[in-house]
Amino acid sequence: MKFKRLEKWRDDLNICIRCGYCYEQCHLYKVTSWETDTPRSKLILLYGMINGEIEPSEYIANKIFECFYCKRCDTNCSAGVSITEIFTDARADFIDAGFDVDGTTSKTNDDLCSRCGTCVYICKHEARSIDKENKKILIDKAKCQSCGCCEAACPSSAAYIVDGWEVSEDEMSEKVTKFLKGVVV
Amino acid sequence: MKNVDIERLKGIVGEKNIKYNEADLYIYGSDASVHQAMPSVVLKPTTIEQIQEIMRYANSELIPVIPRGAASGMTGQAVPIEGGIILDMKQMNEILEINLEDIYCRVQPGVVDDDLNKVLKSYGVFYPVAPASSRIATIGGEIANNASGVRSVKYGAVRDSVLGMKVVMANGDLLNLGAKTRVEASGYQLDRLMVGSEGTLGIVVEATLKFVPIPKFRCLGVAKFNTLDEAGNTISAIMSSGAQPSMVELMDNVAITAVNKAQNLGLPDVEAVLLFEADGMVKEAVDYEIDKIKKICEKNNGFGIELSYDAKERTRIFLGRKKLFPSLSKYKEGYACTALADDMAVPYSKMAETARKIHEIADRNNVIMSAYGHCGSGCMHTKILMNPTKKSQWNDARKAISEIYEHVQSVNGTTSAEHGIGLSKAPAFKKEKFDSLNAMRAIKKALDPNNILNPLKMQDAPDDWVTATKLRYTVES
Ligand SMILES: Cc1cc2nc3c(=O)[nH]c(=O)nc-3n(C[C@H](O)[C@H](O)[C@H](O)COP(=O)(O)OP(=O)(O)OC[C@H]3O[C@@H](n4cnc5c(N)ncnc54)[C@H](O)[C@@H]3O)c2cc1C
Repeated sequence: MKFKRLEKWRDDLNICIRCGYCYEQCHLYKVTSWETDTPRSKLILLYGMINGEIEPSEYIANKIFECFYCKRCDTNCSAGVSITEIFTDARADFIDAGFDVDGTTSKTNDDLCSRCGTCVYICKHEARSIDKENKKILIDKAKCQSCGCCEAACPSSAAYIVDGWEVSEDEMSEKVTKFLKGVVV
Repeated sequence: MKNVDIERLKGIVGEKNIKYNEADLYIYGSDASVHQAMPSVVLKPTTIEQIQEIMRYANSELIPVIPRGAASGMTGQAVPIEGGIILDMKQMNEILEINLEDIYCRVQPGVVDDDLNKVLKSYGVFYPVAPASSRIATIGGEIANNASGVRSVKYGAVRDSVLGMKVVMANGDLLNLGAKTRVEASGYQLDRLMVGSEGTLGIVVEATLKFVPIPKFRCLGVAKFNTLDEAGNTISAIMSSGAQPSMVELMDNVAITAVNKAQNLGLPDVEAVLLFEADGMVKEAVDYEIDKIKKICEKNNGFGIELSYDAKERTRIFLGRKKLFPSLSKYKEGYACTALADDMAVPYSKMAETARKIHEIADRNNVIMSAYGHCGSGCMHTKILMNPTKKSQWNDARKAISEIYEHVQSVNGTTSAEHGIGLSKAPAFKKEKFDSLNAMRAIKKALDPNNILNPLKMQDAPDDWVTATKLRYTVES
């Protein structure tokens, strides 16, 4: 795999001190409660990859495509590392290398889609476009920030964000209740 | 790497609480230190019984077990040097009891310091240890490291806040240590032994902590200094005056420049600043302390002194200090801030001399160092700023560090004030504690005869920290 875009972040990956300040506010982490889903961990994986210590894999690619771009990690990183920008560049490199994974990026149910193009106009990240020839909505997964605007705006309920990254809604609510019970005395 | 019986472990913690994919193991091999090593498996236990069962299995199969909180430790304490089982304790994060009548709370080890304080705040009390990393550090990690922080000058370190704990031992036994009372003289203080043991003697599975009332008034002051010496002398003068600050923090010019670059906070570009705070239930008492400290600063040529009682303003001023360590990487292009030689403590009277020495040693060895820290409690922080991809810089760092500790020991200081020993500080620690190493090894042997709990750390760590594990940085050969 070539790291055409990631390469320029080498210094930033060095200055990340792996303190973990980025992850207490990461809601992906709060739901899965696995360290492996934190921004810090994703940077560790990318560092390992560009330095040849671990092989790029679909598993790693999927992790990098799992992010809601709330950017709290960027705000909390006091070493000033542009964490989510690094993810976006890494995604583009993964796509170039032929990895076809979804992570939390948005999708379209072609059977329901009326090709009205609302999602294309609403997407402020320019991740959606219309393939006029094939009459299909195209999604640039490197650019999609899983904000959910397409899903909210789609009149045919065709655009959607994959839900439940290994955690069901019931489990999520159970986790929150358990935590709250613990703190109410 | 040790072979582990994945199916058996799945049976203990459940399918969802185990990871052994290579990528996941790579992640769990790292903390905030310069070290990295792969574990064999990661488990996320949710009950004490599960931990007991894991320990019984590991003890019979001689598999290392490394408890891990937020992995914000800076000396490689949670890095699995010999592989083995990582116990990710963050799932055990319930606050079990807040007992206002008897002034204690019981918590699981994965509770994050700030989360505990958020809850305690509604009762008008707080757990005062306050390491700069409080937003991530877990109570288990704080106990295992004997963490301290900005307010330790008044409220002490973790050891002063712990009343007792439940601990799972290497053989799976569950012990109740300490008491729920303020004082205890019932034999060996085994709870104290666990504090600072860095996961080498037992797994803390529950802690009983005391708390204190939140003071009604807090005042934060900032004093500027034209020389580091003057700032250092001021610390000593404040502490020996009988004043009772709740914080005295030093930041030298390297620290100020780094924070301004990374955070754009506009701190004054002077040689050093001291942040000092006093707190209390009555404003007059706080005024009294602040006035006393302010006068001492002025007497030692401190100038431009600003004071603030306002909570928001205090938070803003303090943000720079809170984010200092990671900000240091912004000091110079191509340089990274490495967690090395980072938290010695020296007697107050040696503060100024030590701060000066740190810079002399750094200059001599082609690295950049900063002198800052919770100096009110005697803690002097430094970090090594260097190009971590260059092999020669690791030799420079090795030399600088050994010179720094030589100085620290010559002035009756100690290797670590709060971040612990782990791997990277073990060589200096072994020199300092040369006469007690055998006693420490005997304790370890008695409590963990098969040496499975976080092996090869502290007194048993390799003599050369640079080669103790693979470095987390890729170094050009
Ligand atoms: C930016 C930054 C600032 C910091 N500032 C401070 C500071 O001001 N003061 C300070 O004291 N420290 C500070 N630290 C260091 C570190 O955050 C603290 O020492 C903290 O207490 C470690 O907690 P943790 O949960 O991250 O533990 P980890 O790093 O996960 O583990 C540390 C040690 O504790 C052991 N351990 C963890 N949980 C348990 C358990 N349940 N039972 C037994 N052993 C266990 C581990 O095996 C390991 O040996 C700082 C670190 C960073 C990155």
